[in-house]
Amino acid sequence: MLNLFKNKNDMKHSIIRFLLVAGVLATSAACNKDFLDRKPLVGATEENFYRTEADAIAAINAAYAPLQFELSPAGHFRWIWGDVMSDDAIKGGSGDNDAIEMLQLETFTAQANNENVESEWSADYEGIYRANVVLERIPNIQMNEQLKARILGEARFIRAWFFYNLVTLYGGVPLADHVLAPSEYNLPRASESEVWTLVETDLREAAAALPLRSEYAVSDLGRITKGAAQSLLLKTLVWQQRWSEAQTLAEEIVNSNQYQLEPNYAKIFTQEGENGPESIFEIQYMNASGGNWGKNNANEGTFSNVFQRARGQFEGYGFNIPTENFVQEFFKEGFEDPRLKSTVFRVGEPMGDRGTFTKEATGGFSYDYYPKKFFSNKSEEAPFGDPNPNGGSNDRVIRFSDVLLLHAEAAYHNGNEAAARQSLNRVRARARGTLPNVLPDVTATGAALLDAIYHERRVELGLEGHRFFDLLRTGRAAQVLGPLGFNESVHKYLPIPLSQIQATNGAIVQNSGY
Amino acid sequence: MNIKLTYILVGLFMLASVAQAQINVSGRVTGADGEALIGATVAVPGAKGAVTDLDGHYQVSAPSAESELVFSYIGMRTLTEKVGDRRVIDVVLEENNALIDEVVVVGYGSQKRSNISGSVATVTAAEIAETPVLRIEQALQGRTAGVQVTQNSGAPGSPLTVRIRGTGTINNSDPLYIVDGVPVDGLDFLNPNDIETINVLKDAASAAIYGSRGANGVVLITTRTGKKNQDGKIAYDAYFGMQSAWKKINLLNAREYAILSNEARVSAGQVPLPEFAYPDQLGKGTDWLDAIFSDAPMTSHQLSLTGGGDNSTYTISGNYFDQDGIVGGNKSGFKRYTARINGTHTVKKWLTMGTNLGLTNLSRRFLPENNEFTTPLVRALNMDPVTPVRKSDGTYAYSRYSDTDIVNPVNAIEQTHDRWNSKRIVGALFGELSLAPGLRFRSSYSVDATFATRNIFYPRFDLSSDPVLSDAPAGEKNLINSVVLQHNTWRTWQWENVLTWDRHFGDTHHLTLTGGTTALENRFEYSGGANTNLPSNDPDDAYISNTIDPIASQSAYGGADESSLLSVFGRANYELKEKYLFSAALRADGSSRFGPNNRYGYFPSVSAGWIISEESFWKSKALEYLKIRASWGQNGNDRIGNYGFTSVVLSGQNYTFGPTQIITNGSVPLTVANPDLRWETISQTDLGFDATFLNGRLTWTSDFYIKNTSGMLYAAPIPLTVGANPPVRNIASVKNTGWETDLQYRQRAGAFKYSIGGNFSMVRNEVTSLGEGGEPVFAGRVQSANASVTKTEVGQPIGAFYGYVTDGIFQTREEVAAHAFQNENTAPGDIRFKDLNGDGVVNTDDQTYIGNPIPDFTYGINADVEWKGFDLGIFLQGASGNEIYNATIRYDFTYVNRPVSVLNRWTGPGTSNNEPRVSLSDPNQNARVSNRFVEDGSYLRLKNVQLGYSLPKSVLKRIGFEKFRVYASAQNLFTFTKYSGMDPEIGAYGGALEAGIDRGFYPQARVLLGGINVVF
Repeated sequence: MLNLFKNKNDMKHSIIRFLLVAGVLATSAACNKDFLDRKPLVGATEENFYRTEADAIAAINAAYAPLQFELSPAGHFRWIWGDVMSDDAIKGGSGDNDAIEMLQLETFTAQANNENVESEWSADYEGIYRANVVLERIPNIQMNEQLKARILGEARFIRAWFFYNLVTLYGGVPLADHVLAPSEYNLPRASESEVWTLVETDLREAAAALPLRSEYAVSDLGRITKGAAQSLLLKTLVWQQRWSEAQTLAEEIVNSNQYQLEPNYAKIFTQEGENGPESIFEIQYMNASGGNWGKNNANEGTFSNVFQRARGQFEGYGFNIPTENFVQEFFKEGFEDPRLKSTVFRVGEPMGDRGTFTKEATGGFSYDYYPKKFFSNKSEEAPFGDPNPNGGSNDRVIRFSDVLLLHAEAAYHNGNEAAARQSLNRVRARARGTLPNVLPDVTATGAALLDAIYHERRVELGLEGHRFFDLLRTGRAAQVLGPLGFNESVHKYLPIPLSQIQATNGAIVQNSGY
Repeated sequence: MNIKLTYILVGLFMLASVAQAQINVSGRVTGADGEALIGATVAVPGAKGAVTDLDGHYQVSAPSAESELVFSYIGMRTLTEKVGDRRVIDVVLEENNALIDEVVVVGYGSQKRSNISGSVATVTAAEIAETPVLRIEQALQGRTAGVQVTQNSGAPGSPLTVRIRGTGTINNSDPLYIVDGVPVDGLDFLNPNDIETINVLKDAASAAIYGSRGANGVVLITTRTGKKNQDGKIAYDAYFGMQSAWKKINLLNAREYAILSNEARVSAGQVPLPEFAYPDQLGKGTDWLDAIFSDAPMTSHQLSLTGGGDNSTYTISGNYFDQDGIVGGNKSGFKRYTARINGTHTVKKWLTMGTNLGLTNLSRRFLPENNEFTTPLVRALNMDPVTPVRKSDGTYAYSRYSDTDIVNPVNAIEQTHDRWNSKRIVGALFGELSLAPGLRFRSSYSVDATFATRNIFYPRFDLSSDPVLSDAPAGEKNLINSVVLQHNTWRTWQWENVLTWDRHFGDTHHLTLTGGTTALENRFEYSGGANTNLPSNDPDDAYISNTIDPIASQSAYGGADESSLLSVFGRANYELKEKYLFSAALRADGSSRFGPNNRYGYFPSVSAGWIISEESFWKSKALEYLKIRASWGQNGNDRIGNYGFTSVVLSGQNYTFGPTQIITNGSVPLTVANPDLRWETISQTDLGFDATFLNGRLTWTSDFYIKNTSGMLYAAPIPLTVGANPPVRNIASVKNTGWETDLQYRQRAGAFKYSIGGNFSMVRNEVTSLGEGGEPVFAGRVQSANASVTKTEVGQPIGAFYGYVTDGIFQTREEVAAHAFQNENTAPGDIRFKDLNGDGVVNTDDQTYIGNPIPDFTYGINADVEWKGFDLGIFLQGASGNEIYNATIRYDFTYVNRPVSVLNRWTGPGTSNNEPRVSLSDPNQNARVSNRFVEDGSYLRLKNVQLGYSLPKSVLKRIGFEKFRVYASAQNLFTFTKYSGMDPEIGAYGGALEAGIDRGFYPQARVLLGGINVVF
């Protein structure tokens, strides 16, 4: 020992002191390895989730959530693609700088860095990822097999829906049909037909696994049904102009007796009309989930209500403004189509309980029309929180009248004009109701019949996000949208987001013309 | 011999030996000027010492003639006198200008400054006292080279951005704060009056002893304690000040606004608004900035008791601080009560116990800060001047032209009830054992616990002129009130054991070995609830259960997270002949924040110093002390979030089902997991010197350093096809290269004493890697352009501004046609942007770097003068070469008001070449991110001027006081800057990637205050 101590007494004290130190050190050494092992206290981790039926339901619900995404983080509303990018509507808003990137879409000047374009891509793949998680994790869970089959069917539909969006907007895209491992991140684009094949396979499996609308419990209203899977498959076949399969499938949907036309057209777009008799696929939104602005609109409300309402007294942002050309379509047959009243607001008309539409009341903007299908009354506004992200209107994605009109179109192409007219006139009859002198049954044949079907789609489904895609798939886009800046060889597809070409070191190749 | 007798004999012997040796010595201690030094310490090794009285007198008993008396006094050179046969020893202490003998607190120990081989800066209590402020970081600003402090906001209590030697990471770059050995988050709880010294460990070698937490530098704060054998002192310090806005921006008045509105409508093809037909009739209108700013008081009272006896020391202090904001008065007010009890007690000769305990009760009220949407400032800048503050009936008016964000700011302030209260206890209990000469063991257990409540009430109000029509826009009314209450608890405990062996081997070798362990646990818990539709609209009734239906709209939430740290560390300091200095340290940290594959990190360092002036060949008299130093070390940054390595299956990814729309839970892992996650590593090399000249009157310290951050955490974007958020990975790196210097000169000329000094820091910041692929990071989205303002890319500094470059204004259609295509509706009067790549189209490829928010250099200048009881202190601080992106005007709205510079707008060929035409529509996107909004952010600010007068000692003696001083001071009296916004001092409010973006910074106040310091 070092000669540290002067005498024995010092030594004795020192022993006490050293014992004290040793005790302290021993105690501190007792801190064991678990001390550093900390797992999150809120929320499960991947290792301990996906074990129970409840976990499976939570997993599929999380895959539904991206259906509601509208800001990821820029807006990618269905009506931007279907309506603003068509001759039915212009962007609107408070001026050119108000959502300028949407203006670029309207005028077909958007480039690869357009944020709306990137946000749509992002939201679609987020939905696909979540569906893939369900398809990979749920099969291993011990649970009710019937429920498991349904959940897998729902996931297949959701995956198909997002690929459907991608393939119709961008063409062939990377085929992320499973959760990607880091080595697969730079997945290149698949061909358009490969994507369509996946969409078709998924939808056929979904249709086989899913219950009919009437077979679901009431509390499951809003879940994907067999009819929804069949109807999206119908749209898939129609896009590929596989008319005979399309007609057969459409007839199957009609004959399932799950869907009827709502007698009162105006009611479809009201709160009472949500999930009505002709609703096949409807994205659910509600006004009472709180939350606020944020990526992917982190609540269950929609922004479409506030985006599409007039400014000023009506407290909206005034986007998706109907064009004169669109309104004139409703007068084409020599009378005012009664559906116009349910589709647009004209000056002097009451805007629900928010007052009468005058230009002064809208803040002095020069717009003559405002869209009506996403209009919400003051009385329907969010009971708490910020009303703007908490719009309650469901997005009516596929209605029975859409299926009927697609049936008419398919039948026409199959040379079955009588069947075509029958479905067409069924839609017109509902719109006509008891009104005299409007919407007589169509008796046209040949090209005139096809034009009648096209016209009917434009007015029946106006401002519901169909127009751009209808023009594109029927080959009329160049002629109709050309004057608006559309160039078929370029604008048939959106640009692939620039960030994605960079993020994959060029493994993803840009569409031509961008 | 029986035992009793033995005791008696031994006792007598001891008495005799004591009596035999006792020599009473007395005397007087004075300074060079002959003035008595009050409170100088006279230590007698092996016996009881003393402290000089009001006249400088002392009296001690020395054990023998061989005893030495050690005289010391702050700021003076310590003097040792052998007693010999003297009975009266008067001494004159020389001023120790050089400060090289001061003892500096370093991690887990202290060292004489002359023997330090790392880079450590010190701020003393006297410097802190010079600027009466709320937060201790404010006192650090401009005081030391290499430490850049910027206000995030002028709102009372708002945190500051503190960067030691540059921005080390795009993540959390805040230094580690240690108060009396306790690591703490945030310093708003500390009362600056309680601080004895602040030491900043700047280089990696000094900070290495803090291992995985030292990467951004370490700030060691020591609170005051009494001294042994010191008469009790009672000190009272108080001040009262008034704050006011130091600057006002000139905005358009109502008449000018109307003229421009008419012009804007006409140029967009619309008719002017009828009410603006006669602009002259509108007059000046409302000055919204005047409406939101008001003078606001601040006040502080401090009472402290210090002293010490043979075996103990104590400090007890209490402080009350109250400051209102210059925007919103007490709606942005800050109030703090602090109490501190520090004490030590020598229980046995070999055992000392002590406590440091601070208690704080802090209340703060918030107004929204630094965003473009809801701050009073942005609203006041953008609100049209035509709208009055109030209507004729006295109620608040709303604008007929604005919608969404720009609402009546005065009403918005009134409707804001956002209150924060926290109660915090930061305390340590320690014991120190002397095991053998030079061998000490210290064990300390400390706790930092905060219990905080945030209470937000949003009342019902409606500015509609017609309540039936409810005509006010959405932001001007809230028909359903709501309340949110959140409780937060932070708890940290730490247990540290340190063994130190300090031994001299003759005069040649001095070795200090330090080793220890740390265990630390952090836990944060929160719970809260909300409710709406309360029958009472009184904020004092805003409790969640005070509602008609207490269940219906109630919501509750809560959660917790935690982290832990286990460490072992060691350090060896070796001094050879007091000339050659060596130090090496190593720390091993195990942290729960690191992924399972990288749970332990090791952080080494070495440093060396050479005091050349001690060499026999050194002859220079003028340069009396010169030390050169070099150090290298590695530190970590563990502020990477608590669970970054795992992927949480996040609930709340909901959807709604059923006819009544029931919110149904969904869960999914949103982020890809990374089990390899670990700390960010900073390797730093430092070269420096310390020199003193002219009998210590001039001191000069300078350092050059290279600081490389590697393994910087970055969630590098992965392709969106993955569908989940990218994992954070240790993939990026940053380099900071800097030079800093500190010069001080002190002189005395008769009764005149002065000092002048300055410090200067330069740092160059460069991103050296952003991982494989190296995708740049865009951040700092501003609403006026609806785009990102900063781009962080390899080869550029963090958060550089990126956008278009303007090139004057198109004067004619021909000029538009001749230039690269911008937009089909681009018209004369619009801005010409440079077509940088010359492809004939101005698009995103024509963006470039247009500014850097990081200053080229920052500096501080101080001057102090004393003359016959008067003291004058002047302190300036500045930054140079940085840019600010001014995003305060909401160009995304068409009706907003603007600074008067818009009056120089283009109205026809030749009228302006920098201010574009006004138009309701902006097809050319004149408001896009461009150098138009990038301004020079350099400033020089007269931070503080203080003039004080102390009563002379002769008077003090008569009234029994030790000190009586009154002073007046002014903060932020002058600011020299070209920046057109409210305040050029802009921190990194949204993090390093968003530094220097002005989204409506709450400006700092000019403060005029008066105070007193009394000691008796």
